[in-house]
Amino acid sequence: MSSLQPLYDVKERLEAAAVAGTGLLSEDFRLQRAAEAMKPLAAASPVFGKISAGLDRLLSAPGPDRAGLLLDTLALVDAVAYTQGRSGMEGEITPLPTGGGTYIQISHGQIQPLLTALTTTGGGRMEVIQSAWEDHPEFFRDFRVMPAVVAGLGDGYGEIADLNAKILKGVGPAALPLLKQDFDPAGNRAMARRAEVIAAIEGEAASPWLREVLPEARKDVRVAVILALGDAPDNTALLLDLIKTERSGSREAALQALARQDGDAVREFWTAELKKNSGSVRFLRDTDTEWAAALLATGLREQLEGMLAKGGPVSEEEQLELSHWCQAIGKKASAPMLELWRWADSHMEAFDVLTNEKGNSIFAGVRLTDSLRDSLRTSGPGPLRDFCLELWDRRPGMTRYLHISFLAALLARPAAEVYKKFAPCVLTKKPLLDADRKRTLNNVLLRALGDVWWNQEQGRYVVYGGQPTAEPLDRRWIERLTQAVYTDVPGRGVPPFSYYWENVNKFDLDLMKLVDPSEAETRRLLIPYLRKRIQETGLAYTYSRWLFQLGGSPRGVLGDAMVKNPKANRLSVLWELMEKAAQALPPEEVIGLLEEALASKGIYKGAQETAERAIPYTIELLKAGKPYPEWNVWWGMGK
Amino acid sequence: MSLTEQSILLLAPNPAAAENGRKLSKKGSFSAHRKTADQTLYWAECAGSGKNPYRVSADFTEPEAPVCRCSCPSRQFPCKHALGLLFEILGQKPFETADIPQDIADKRARQAARAAKKESAASTPAKPKKPNAAARKKKLDKQLAGLDMAEKMVSELLTAGVGTLSGSSAQSYDKLAKDLGSSYLTGLQTAFSRIALTVRTVQKNPAQAQAAYSEALRVLIALHSTIKKARVFLQQKLEEGSCSAEDTVLFEALGGVWKLEDLQAIGAFRENAKLVQLSFDVTYDEAKKEFCERGWWLDTATGQIDQTLNLRPAKALKYVKGDDSRFDLLEVPVLCTYPGEGNRRIRWDSASTRPVTPEEQAALPTLAQPDLAAAVKLVKGQIKNTLLPKYMAVLVPIGQIGTIGETFVLEDPKGGRVVLRDRREDGADHASTARLAMLPAAIPAGSALFGLMFYDEADKTICLHPYSVVTPEQVIRLLY
Repeated sequence: MSSLQPLYDVKERLEAAAVAGTGLLSEDFRLQRAAEAMKPLAAASPVFGKISAGLDRLLSAPGPDRAGLLLDTLALVDAVAYTQGRSGMEGEITPLPTGGGTYIQISHGQIQPLLTALTTTGGGRMEVIQSAWEDHPEFFRDFRVMPAVVAGLGDGYGEIADLNAKILKGVGPAALPLLKQDFDPAGNRAMARRAEVIAAIEGEAASPWLREVLPEARKDVRVAVILALGDAPDNTALLLDLIKTERSGSREAALQALARQDGDAVREFWTAELKKNSGSVRFLRDTDTEWAAALLATGLREQLEGMLAKGGPVSEEEQLELSHWCQAIGKKASAPMLELWRWADSHMEAFDVLTNEKGNSIFAGVRLTDSLRDSLRTSGPGPLRDFCLELWDRRPGMTRYLHISFLAALLARPAAEVYKKFAPCVLTKKPLLDADRKRTLNNVLLRALGDVWWNQEQGRYVVYGGQPTAEPLDRRWIERLTQAVYTDVPGRGVPPFSYYWENVNKFDLDLMKLVDPSEAETRRLLIPYLRKRIQETGLAYTYSRWLFQLGGSPRGVLGDAMVKNPKANRLSVLWELMEKAAQALPPEEVIGLLEEALASKGIYKGAQETAERAIPYTIELLKAGKPYPEWNVWWGMGK
Repeated sequence: MSLTEQSILLLAPNPAAAENGRKLSKKGSFSAHRKTADQTLYWAECAGSGKNPYRVSADFTEPEAPVCRCSCPSRQFPCKHALGLLFEILGQKPFETADIPQDIADKRARQAARAAKKESAASTPAKPKKPNAAARKKKLDKQLAGLDMAEKMVSELLTAGVGTLSGSSAQSYDKLAKDLGSSYLTGLQTAFSRIALTVRTVQKNPAQAQAAYSEALRVLIALHSTIKKARVFLQQKLEEGSCSAEDTVLFEALGGVWKLEDLQAIGAFRENAKLVQLSFDVTYDEAKKEFCERGWWLDTATGQIDQTLNLRPAKALKYVKGDDSRFDLLEVPVLCTYPGEGNRRIRWDSASTRPVTPEEQAALPTLAQPDLAAAVKLVKGQIKNTLLPKYMAVLVPIGQIGTIGETFVLEDPKGGRVVLRDRREDGADHASTARLAMLPAAIPAGSALFGLMFYDEADKTICLHPYSVVTPEQVIRLLY
């Protein structure tokens, strides 16, 4: 027992007395005993004598004085306890490890939000981490940040965990020591992500480490380790063994890993495997090897020939199998595939009449054409693209080929040539002759145009799948599209602003995706078009925001549009629209819009009274050259 | 001030504005770059969401406090466009030389006239304020009455027992705190707000009752001590008929607010100080409902460690400019120090910055305490004072840092040891001890460790919460 134990006992008893109340002090025998035990110490040192005297005074004091005396004594006991505090520790010191990254001078304002996003829960974290990674990738090498990113591989929000994995892959070898430190092969999804990241950073060089941890690896970690083994070419034998011994997810991982290997043994395995279980073809999706393309082309053709030869209805199982084979095509564009497409083209009419057991079409031809289109979108220049270019020319009757040939032309041919050849398909007048076919071509082309957009970041037009067009889109397309007479493109797009109640048609959404806002001619054409669309649709907000982006204004048409749907014109929505106007337009134009909105009487009934106060006030502010007011100013006027 | 990334970040109203400015610069939103021949004015156009670009300028007439102007409607100052322009200057984008635009020349002239007026007003001796004796007496009386009220409440609480807090109403303590605020006793007001918080904690989470009672008891001890000392202090003032600021911590604890001129008047300042920041952190005080941005500074001449506190009430967060980590050396002509002991609060009116030279950096670890024993003695001397914090920032020499079992330990060159541990009261976002095991490289000889030394009730040990490793080459911040 420490020689100071009586002091600590007194401290404990005094604290207990404070919690219980000084009213009970006279009955606190344990405090009295502790005070007695202090007496020998009191004789040894004046400061303990003071404590002892304080205790005596406390225990004999009348009720009203006890509170003050208790606190005085406790303060003294605390002070002595502090001065008697031990420091240090016995034992042999083990040196610390090093190498957890680098040290970067990052201010609190920069690093703290990032660390909070990485180490806490709740919304809004993804954006913080993503922006930091885009703007300051060097932050992630810092020794305070990197461990948080590694720990974040187990984030409960899967997208953040995946983002952390992507970041660590970007950080590269500097992250390896932390990733391997305390790695638990029998761990959870976080450990599986670690294995995946280690393999991505080290590539083939990770193979010895993967082989080392494989025997202990369980569940998700095992799947990740087996998948990663596919990166090294010398793992073929091991993977072939694993396919024999593993079950369910781990076996599928082994198949997927083996699909990335090459060589005779691999080809022989897949030939046999596809014969036994053609569903396994889905594992060949990401493989571009010659043998995989040849196996796929042969197998898919056999499937299709079987269906044609059978003559009867196609079963559910056969349809599912066809889907697997089509999905496995991926980026495969070599000679056997081209041969397959030529053969499929020559039998397209026969595929179109294939039906299921109920007599309904199974759309086999459409499915094949879509697969060809997907292949075109992802594969680069070559014979497949050339084949796609001429497809519609050779078979103008097959209207769905228009989509493929148009995309191929955008990817390969000069913009003016593409416009000249395909623009007539967009009808600007209602046709008198052959109307149905022309309207079909119009619709196919509009749908194909939906696969193209202006990528502001890259400063170029891109086709769905990521490939840039050969040249910037011909400017005449915008004019032609604003004159289109049939614009009922099927489907719904994602609204660009948060006006969820405004059902903007797909055609306009696709059209606006084609706009390069820096083009003056485009702005000249689209401003009147968008104003016209406000009048036609009564959708005041989305079209106005587009107008602002192009430097235009909805003045003159806004009021009438607002009247068409007063419920939409809530005060906050109106304030936000006018705020955007204030950012884009001169003050006099904003004043005009505010006056028009107020005069329209189209503001939501419950907000009309507040608007009548807020709008004139805002107009006065703008006239005085002051900035547009914040939302709480408008909101405050409603109270 | 030479323009650096850090100086731009410090000018920004918040980190997001600085980042947005950086993005504008990065994506090439600026055009028509111009500067005056004397390089005191830079201006450019910045593309915004409207059809007309914004006109942005940065005026370096006073290099320490550049004036940013922009035609955008933002209420943030400087706005992201102005910050973006500063990044353009920092990035050494080509600026063509041109004549100063007339509107800015006019603004400069008006600014100069205002400055001259201010200077002439400052040179005219101000009339001495006539003290209002009646108002002064009324205030002191009210403060004394407030002390009586607080003492009565403390006594009642102790008589009934701190354990009764679980059945008390937090509002009654809130009300008392408010009344004490009205009696110009803001220090006591905060103490009762903390007790109200304890009530809420215990009621919400009874499992934490023991820890909360213990904390409340420490508040009550400090409160009792403050009341006793404050009564003597105020009665003395009442008798003397004095109301001037005094060199004592009680002045602030009772609601006094220090102005720089008052601190200078009582001689609480030193001249030509050179400071290097060792660490920076932000905490939120639930009782005061304010953020406290704290910088720990080392005086390169004396080795004294002081602190800056930038207090930002949660309600007025966007109106009070935030502080941030600083990595340059600060040269302060007049450095004012608040009354107190240990790590005193410091403030200044103006200062200039420059990078720390390698020689100055190499000298920093030599300013550490001679050994751990000296630091421990110093800390014990402070924490036994009921009116002072129960921790102290110290810089101590490193012999070696390592672990004994799971515990981190620092050994000084003389063989003295201290346990390294995070201070629980600082919260999870201040956890830094474990980061010692992730340092990029081994700590070089001649380094020192900066941190908060404190007494841990749990094992009655003096511990050190490490904040930064100060090597002869750099300050490695474990926190911020």
